[in-house]
Amino acid sequence: MPRDPKYDILFEPIQLGPKTLKNRFYQVPHCIGAGSEKPGMQAYHRGMKAEGGWGACCTEYCSIHPESDDTSRVSARIWDEGDVRNLAAMCDRLHQFGALAGIELWYGGPHAPCMETRATPRGPSQIASDFELNIFPRYMDQDDIDTVQQMYVDAAIRAREAGFDIIYVYGAHAYLPFQFLSPFYNRRTDKYGGSFENRARFWRESLEKVREAVGDDCAIASRFAVDHLLGPISIQVGEDGARFVEYCDDLVDLWDFTVGDIAEWGQNAGPSRFFEENHEKPYTGQIKAGNHTNKPVVGVGRITNPDTMVAIISSGQFDIIGAARPSISDPFLPQKIDEGRLDDIRECIGCNQCISRWEIGGPPMVCTQNATAGEEYRRGWHPEKFHPAANREKSVLVVGAGPAGMECAMVLGKREMSAVHLVDASKEIGGCVNWISQLGHSDGKDNLFRGSARGLGEWKRIVNYRQIQLDKLSNVEVHPGSRLSAAEVLEYGAEIVIIATGCHFATDGMNAATHTPIEGADTSLDWQLTPDEVVGETKRVGQRVLVLENEGYFMGASVAQKLAGEGHAVTLVTQAAEIAHYMDYTLEAPMLHRDLERLGVGIHTYTMLEKIEPGVCHGYDVWNPAHKEQFEVDTVVLCTARISDDALYRELKADKGRLEAEGIEGLYVIGDASAPRMIVDSIFDGHRLAREIDSPHPEMPLPFIRERRLWGDSTNEDFRAQLLNTVDVV
Amino acid sequence: MSAGDVLVVAETRRGELREVSRELIGAGLAIKAASGGRLVVAVLDHEPGRFVQSLSVDGVDELLLVPTPNEHFEAHVSQRALEELIDAEQAGLVVLAYTIDSLGFGPAVAAARRLGFASDVTSLTWADGPAVTRGAYGDKLVAELEFPGKDCTLVMLRAGTFEPAPEGSQATATRTVELALDGVAETEHLGFEEVADTGVDITKAPFLLSIGRGVEDKDDVPRFEALAERFGATLSVSRPLVDAGWMPSARQVGQSGKTVKPRVYLAFGISGAVQHLAGMRTAETIIAVNTDPEAPIFGVAHYGAVADLFEVADELEQALE
Amino acid sequence: MKIVVPVKQVAALDDEFELLDDGSGVDPDFLELDLNEWDAFSLEAALQLREATGDGEVVVVTVGDDDADEALRGCLARGADRALRIWDESLDGADPLAVARVLAAGVERERPDLVLCGVQSSDAVNGATGVALAGYLQMPHVAVVKQLDFDVAQSAATVKRELEGGLVEVLRVRTPALLTIQTGINEPRYANLRAIKQAREKPLEVSSPGELGLDADLVAAAAGSRRRELKHPERGEGAEMIDGSPSEVAARIVEIVRERMSG
Repeated sequence: MPRDPKYDILFEPIQLGPKTLKNRFYQVPHCIGAGSEKPGMQAYHRGMKAEGGWGACCTEYCSIHPESDDTSRVSARIWDEGDVRNLAAMCDRLHQFGALAGIELWYGGPHAPCMETRATPRGPSQIASDFELNIFPRYMDQDDIDTVQQMYVDAAIRAREAGFDIIYVYGAHAYLPFQFLSPFYNRRTDKYGGSFENRARFWRESLEKVREAVGDDCAIASRFAVDHLLGPISIQVGEDGARFVEYCDDLVDLWDFTVGDIAEWGQNAGPSRFFEENHEKPYTGQIKAGNHTNKPVVGVGRITNPDTMVAIISSGQFDIIGAARPSISDPFLPQKIDEGRLDDIRECIGCNQCISRWEIGGPPMVCTQNATAGEEYRRGWHPEKFHPAANREKSVLVVGAGPAGMECAMVLGKREMSAVHLVDASKEIGGCVNWISQLGHSDGKDNLFRGSARGLGEWKRIVNYRQIQLDKLSNVEVHPGSRLSAAEVLEYGAEIVIIATGCHFATDGMNAATHTPIEGADTSLDWQLTPDEVVGETKRVGQRVLVLENEGYFMGASVAQKLAGEGHAVTLVTQAAEIAHYMDYTLEAPMLHRDLERLGVGIHTYTMLEKIEPGVCHGYDVWNPAHKEQFEVDTVVLCTARISDDALYRELKADKGRLEAEGIEGLYVIGDASAPRMIVDSIFDGHRLAREIDSPHPEMPLPFIRERRLWGDSTNEDFRAQLLNTVDVV
Repeated sequence: MSAGDVLVVAETRRGELREVSRELIGAGLAIKAASGGRLVVAVLDHEPGRFVQSLSVDGVDELLLVPTPNEHFEAHVSQRALEELIDAEQAGLVVLAYTIDSLGFGPAVAAARRLGFASDVTSLTWADGPAVTRGAYGDKLVAELEFPGKDCTLVMLRAGTFEPAPEGSQATATRTVELALDGVAETEHLGFEEVADTGVDITKAPFLLSIGRGVEDKDDVPRFEALAERFGATLSVSRPLVDAGWMPSARQVGQSGKTVKPRVYLAFGISGAVQHLAGMRTAETIIAVNTDPEAPIFGVAHYGAVADLFEVADELEQALE
Repeated sequence: MKIVVPVKQVAALDDEFELLDDGSGVDPDFLELDLNEWDAFSLEAALQLREATGDGEVVVVTVGDDDADEALRGCLARGADRALRIWDESLDGADPLAVARVLAAGVERERPDLVLCGVQSSDAVNGATGVALAGYLQMPHVAVVKQLDFDVAQSAATVKRELEGGLVEVLRVRTPALLTIQTGINEPRYANLRAIKQAREKPLEVSSPGELGLDADLVAAAAGSRRRELKHPERGEGAEMIDGSPSEVAARIVEIVRERMSG
């Protein structure tokens, strides 16, 4: 199909200094857990986006020196020739697909704890990091400043050698250059502190020196948080923000704008729960609007919709559409727009699972919508290519059309299985996503700070995308509204049966902390509910509610938000140090806490319940169980644990003779039905089984490539040989 | 009667003349003007005389009053009656409405008498014989039909294709036609039921008032709900409002919501993203109100207004009072 | 008891489609073929009646080329006992009356107790073939049935006709009769993989009008119309714009709505 002419503007090239960016699709720097030490993952993940049409792809933040070490979080590094060699793999692969390669030269100062290198970071003033624990920088005198600036220059030269086209001096997220610029960090009284020009001096000098070293060959970029969101104490777009852009405009070939810092990074990498598409516009949009720059501008805001992209460029908000998460969710977004295949676009849902892995420090990236993110090299998975299954003459029955079932059926369909039937008891497919996506609201009012609870509606895109893809697959039939018994599964006529029947919430208070049910916990009673019952509004909820959450992700807190927003007096109890701990990693925690505080939700941490009675819950302090606390409530909501709905699977599995008699050659269980997990992992589980359905033992995942030091000499082939399956990535 | 003569069959139900009958007469008048023939209107009813006044339209040459033995519409009786009228009147064109009742007998008459036939006709003119267009592939395309070798053609006209003819200044000549209709009925009427509304199904609503991003505030949704009700419409929404949790997904029109084909789709503040258009572009009449003259929805709408939706909503509220 | 269910393989247009150069039709590459949605409901009604009476035969019939075999196999997979497809080239582009005439020949020889048709097809949307068929068969008929209770012993059915505006008429009709069935009357079942495989072995007869005793002239004479041309609807430059003040816009909107919603 031809491209709709209204999207032509997105495909117009634009000049960045000495380089030409072939279109307006730009993958801004973002973390993936690869760095320079997993060169395969780095090259192939970035390369996939280039293959999909992105005009430029950047590394994550790239350390210029061992003094900038964020371990256990994974940054890239360009310290030596070995790093040059490894990052050149990424540049080569990007160039192969016609994309520019960008590198974000980073010096973290006190935000980088140096737990691997044990070096001492330097900073403009000796103020401990507001992001890390107990990390102080060494105060930089002129020699230190010269030394660090030389680090940028040396790194830029190595970067050019590796093949990078765009070289950043990175100050956004409150890293070193920004720390000089902002009075929040900079209390100096010398020529590098005080007045605006003084505070801008370090950054300006660094840009000058880098430009002088490599500016003829490479485009010089700078990532700048135009507004720190802390008010007059730091950089504000209307004051020093715009002024800085004007001040350094002559030195850059490309501006990359953000807001906020790393301490509350969720203001920039805004989760959909709290931020709508293009949410940075009020800040980053002011620069071009106020004519503060003559240079190309790229900006972000979880921009996923092609029409929004066109509007952003036509209106002059930005020149280039920046994306991190939308490019992870769909590396082929540009190509799909180009080919008029808009309904094939897999839209980012803003869950920030990708970010959570980096925040945890160490694990490779994941993506709820795109199960192949991070698997391009180590498993050879391509998001758009699925080689036909060797056993495709078999037919498959998938029972349960939740995230795991939908994904599995879709990939099996794309792998050309002769017939795939996806059956679900409910009239709508989508499983738990259908009710979970209704959470995330509170009272609809604004919070004092940016980020009001707008709900998890975008998570429904999980279902939307798969529904469209399943409809398109002629070998896949979807049958909602059909609950199959074990007998019906046995008689169905499929050779492969996959059970994806999900899970339910524990009804008796069973939990990971105490490993026992709670006395008096019984959600069959009308005043005790599970979270799905709260959303389904099947039971009356009294005025005073206690929500017990032991899982540590969004469920308990979201229920508390909803009920508090509807006017209930809510108490939220957890045995952990904080509620919804995983939401720290998804960057949703600060806005969540502001919302809960504003709503007056009473939060009790380090607290567990030992007994539930009508009208009162008996709690205790986990550090001192003798210290009791009574909660007088009308309704109790238990988010203590989930339990697989695997009865159907167990029943089928128990009778191997019958399975054989009915011609069922493979019986598998995936997703929550196998073990309750996060949605991102359920989708992965379904995807993996479908990718490996033709391996000798599909229930056991095949080995993936581990990029590790092998003793003695090793080649790329040694690593490739670890994969036993056919790869779809060329 | 001759080739240019038109026989229109009016519709009644439960003692009332159905509105569409006047549209059929309007069609008949238009054809008569072009063909120079006679226009005769037949009413098949238990007491056809009670409709003489409302069917008296200037330009109608004769009203045929055909009494039927059954109190309510009966398909086989109507079929036999029309067959006999066709035999007797020898009109070149027979015009019925495309309605549930007429669908029950019109095609059978056409089959039995080997007539020219067209159903759900969206334009009807005369060029030495009836010239007809109708939708194809659900109105995505238009088909032009011809009726070679047919002396008489029966068309079933879609409602809204012609303006209703105004009531006449004097009584039209009438003739009572007694036909042998006893014992012809094959069905027995047992009664009527009114069906209660059991929850929203926007795919069944004939008139949708749909709101989108242009309604920027959740607090404004109730006034559009009220406006919809006042207008006799069902409220539907585009995806952003469901994403934001303002409305349940049962109300969502679009590729990932419901596909609707109402008679009227009135869109306020919907720009017309591809995914939304996929869900409503085959609506019979699309009216779009949006402040953006470039909004894609104007490309599929039949009527558009570049206007502030709140101002227009205000005016509609007043107009419907 | 025998029930005949005439069905149709309908064509849906792809989002991007092209007309053939001579305007005679849509380029088949852009058509997606499927069993007509209404026919799933009429077939289900037939299958449920067969199950209720404990015995009986459900026969599906279609007028279509060999692409339609897929729809027939789907019906056999859902539970129909036999299928009949009638075709020859002269039926290409046949109108409802011609199709009904040919179907009548196929249906007649079955001597059914009930003929259940869909109210309309989703592509042609004539809503006429079923009642025309009843005309040719000279069979009592009721159109747009949304509920059906069949009394085998009495050879009669009590049905509900769905009228405009939510009104329903309750009728009784003696059988043999032809009913056109409205969507929503039941929940059509789907075929599991076993049934799909087994359907391959069920009888699917292919015949032609000639073989059924219809001569070509008869069929041609039965046709009610011929399509002269297929074209894109006149859109002009998009929407007809309503100018003026908000109150003028509102007034025009009310006018348009009233016009369109009447009848």
